[in-house]
Amino acid sequence: MARIGVFVCWCGSNIAGTVDVEKVREEAAKIPGVVSALDYKYMCSDPGQNSLRNIIKEKNLTGIVLAACSPHMHENTFRKAAAKEGLNPYFVEIANIREQVSWVHEDKERATAKAVDLMKMMVEKVKRDRPIEDVRVPLNKKALVIGGGISGIQAALDIANGGVEVLLVEKEPSIGGRMIQLDETFPTLDCSSCIMTPKMVEANQHPNIKLYTYSEVEDISGYIGNFKIKIKKKARSVVEKDCTGCGECWNACPMHKNVKSEFNVNLSERTAIYVPFPQAVPLVPVLDRSVCLHYKKGGKCQKCFDACGPKCIDFSLQDEIIEETVGAIVASTGYDLMDTSMYGEYGYGKYKDVISGLQFERLLSASGPTEGVIKRPSDGKTPQTIVFVQCVGSRDPEKGVPYCSKVCCMYTAKHAKLFAHKVHGSQSYVFYIDIRSTSKGYEEFVRGTMEQDGAIYLRGRVSKIYEDEGKLIVKGADTLSGNQVEIAADMVVLATGVIPKKGSDKLAQMLGISYDKYGFFTESHPKLRPAESSTAGIFLAGMAQGPRDIPESVVSGSAAASKILGLFSKNEYEVEGTIANVNEATCVACFYCQRVCAYNAISKKEIKDRSGKLIKVVANVNPGLCTGCGACVNACFSKSIDVKGFMDDQIYAEIKALAV
Amino acid sequence: MANTKIDEKLQKIAKDLLESGEVSLIIGYAKGSNPQRMRPVFITKAEEAGKLSFSHYAVQDLAVFLKKPEVKKFGKIGIVVKGCDEKAVNALIQEYQISRDNIKIIGIECNGVIRQNLADKGETGVSESTVYDKCLICEEHIPVLYDFLIESEEPKLALSGNVKPYYGIEKLESMSAEEKNAFWAKEFDKCIKCYACRQACPLCYCSRCIVEKNMPQWIDTNSEETGNAQWNLIRAYHLSGRCIGCGECERACPVNIPLMLINEKMAKDVYNLFGYKSGLDINAKPVFGVFSESDFNDFIK
Repeated sequence: MARIGVFVCWCGSNIAGTVDVEKVREEAAKIPGVVSALDYKYMCSDPGQNSLRNIIKEKNLTGIVLAACSPHMHENTFRKAAAKEGLNPYFVEIANIREQVSWVHEDKERATAKAVDLMKMMVEKVKRDRPIEDVRVPLNKKALVIGGGISGIQAALDIANGGVEVLLVEKEPSIGGRMIQLDETFPTLDCSSCIMTPKMVEANQHPNIKLYTYSEVEDISGYIGNFKIKIKKKARSVVEKDCTGCGECWNACPMHKNVKSEFNVNLSERTAIYVPFPQAVPLVPVLDRSVCLHYKKGGKCQKCFDACGPKCIDFSLQDEIIEETVGAIVASTGYDLMDTSMYGEYGYGKYKDVISGLQFERLLSASGPTEGVIKRPSDGKTPQTIVFVQCVGSRDPEKGVPYCSKVCCMYTAKHAKLFAHKVHGSQSYVFYIDIRSTSKGYEEFVRGTMEQDGAIYLRGRVSKIYEDEGKLIVKGADTLSGNQVEIAADMVVLATGVIPKKGSDKLAQMLGISYDKYGFFTESHPKLRPAESSTAGIFLAGMAQGPRDIPESVVSGSAAASKILGLFSKNEYEVEGTIANVNEATCVACFYCQRVCAYNAISKKEIKDRSGKLIKVVANVNPGLCTGCGACVNACFSKSIDVKGFMDDQIYAEIKALAV
Repeated sequence: MANTKIDEKLQKIAKDLLESGEVSLIIGYAKGSNPQRMRPVFITKAEEAGKLSFSHYAVQDLAVFLKKPEVKKFGKIGIVVKGCDEKAVNALIQEYQISRDNIKIIGIECNGVIRQNLADKGETGVSESTVYDKCLICEEHIPVLYDFLIESEEPKLALSGNVKPYYGIEKLESMSAEEKNAFWAKEFDKCIKCYACRQACPLCYCSRCIVEKNMPQWIDTNSEETGNAQWNLIRAYHLSGRCIGCGECERACPVNIPLMLINEKMAKDVYNLFGYKSGLDINAKPVFGVFSESDFNDFIK
């Protein structure tokens, strides 16, 4: 026989001001099975919790209903209090009469009636509660970081420094990501290479970090604590352990001047065997088989092999698949620049001297194609006038994306500043919509570009760019003065918007995490769980989540790392027991549940008899992946799947309680 | 009645399949004791293949037997199907109830089957006014998937356009909500909860139907207004996006509830809203098992 205790909380005047709490208590006392009904000013206070515990003992309660605030607030508080008295914590149910009643209604009589109804529903539900045990999932204390840019490196280093083994997987031949392509960084103008390379080297040498460059995650299955991953280590054609990085091979390669350098954003050429940049980590070249003469001409060319001292070039090397098991994952795949070809009026790709912001970074960089001297791609002359165009693709729902790419205002200010520093007497013009410079030192930095470095800021858009007698004529509007302006420039730099890294949507599908309509990974909660993905055990960092600058990327890398270190501080991961449960006797294995499950939590299970003969196939719920969302329950035609704590008969009883 | 050429082809295929051991059971049609009817037959021995036959009286959807445990235990099965019935086989494959590897589909080109009530009265000719509505809208006279195909030797079904298939749907669509309610209340009032619709349906394969779940009892079991509406509507929902339109539920209904009006309306709506027709592709994802960002959501206000 049920022995239910109902506790009605006043929450000061928060509830009692609108709900007649005494009436709720009186109505509760009338329900069969309710052996104790009480109202109290603050149930969550220590005296409140103590009275709850005392009554559990005195009345030997089998279930508890709290008519109080949202379960988000204090469900755990009361579950813990009940557990201390030996009651299964899932025998505590909350009727939310604050957020769902007192805060949203004014009429006391009707609010009270609703509060009584909600309380009655929960009493009927708690009568049908069964004990639920939380699920414990063992943790493999090893982490995988996907993407070796600044946020991924930061995450890997922090995790590794916490004593946990990390696999850092990077698609490109070197770690460093986008940041290592940058010249100096706003707002302090420290050079990217100078601050980035030590981190790259540290990551490479860290005893807890295993680096997989020129590698991709090919497959992921499993769940928090137990992700099975397959890493494809693409064939470098160079035996890494023997290579000294001396450079004889790329000096010998006859393919120089033929292949555009990805790292220099097509502003220079590279050889077939190459390191993307001199400070690459690891400093081991990669042989690009798609252009190498050895592969194209049937093995005739082997100049790199001949030049190599330690003879570490091996043309026969194959892709390798490495299988690992990890307990947690950081997805930090970074970003790409938008394709600006839809802005035909800007002439990107048509006029050599219309370049992207990232290309300008390479022109500024001392290790770049011009060794830091700003030269026009067309004729190598140093430009005297540069027009910078902001928001190319960003904040343009018609042609580009509606969001702000966040970094362009600042890097454009930096570009204009560095241009003024490097080319004395030069003039820059910046077309902008708004200037967004809200972090520490940012506003002062932009002001400095305008006031000390003489950049002329024009609020408005550029309508057309065309070439005329060696100059780029930029036509645009200055909306503040209301004039049309025309500037004859030597070069134009487009502040191209950022988009998620190509292929990040596929990775998200493989990981089972959600992403927004642009392809940026979405957080479990945009404010309160910004480092977590929608899937337990998978964390997010860097620009893969959306536009952000270097400090924010570093912070997000550290945040993901701290979440993983926290997770790994225990040996097991505890999952709430309110997960889906299959009635194997009635399941007919149509697997609609599997189709609708957003978390890949449902698999096929074979039921065999003692002799090993297959009797039937049924759906099976992986407790590590199930979030108890209940989508499968809706999809099941025969009602053979239920979520524990929200069983069909409980929901039915709640509805019936309302009808009576 | 003598064997037709189609019968001979059918019997040859069946004999070969059973003799070679490729299947251990063939589900097909045999002539009924009444010459105007066909009956299902289950052949397990090659020498019995001579029983197999096909004609425009072959109204049954034999795919319904594929869900039976006593049929499933034969493992590899051959089945004789018309285009409409074959869609049920596809849907069963899509929903993992049978494996493509375990089934040999003997498809028959069909130009329409004669309504059983007319056949019983002596109707012998296939025409616009004697076949089922499903035959008039049929787009799969040749099954979409088969291992063997037996082509028809009869002339194609001639459509003048004067007979409007599923005309009742148009009428219902023009009604107000109250009128529709009244229409169905009257129809469902006839329901005796015999569940023949369910038993005749090839896609109602749950071993425990939702109506049999009694903890809690979601659907009232007695045949009165509420329970009848609950049952017939929930069956329609469970078949929306799944029903392949064989019409067996309506044919089985002893009280003549026009169930195909609901099923066809659902199929029409599913097609208009999601561009999906059931049973056409064994590799397609069933429409209610997929989510797409382009799914309509005007119902969220």
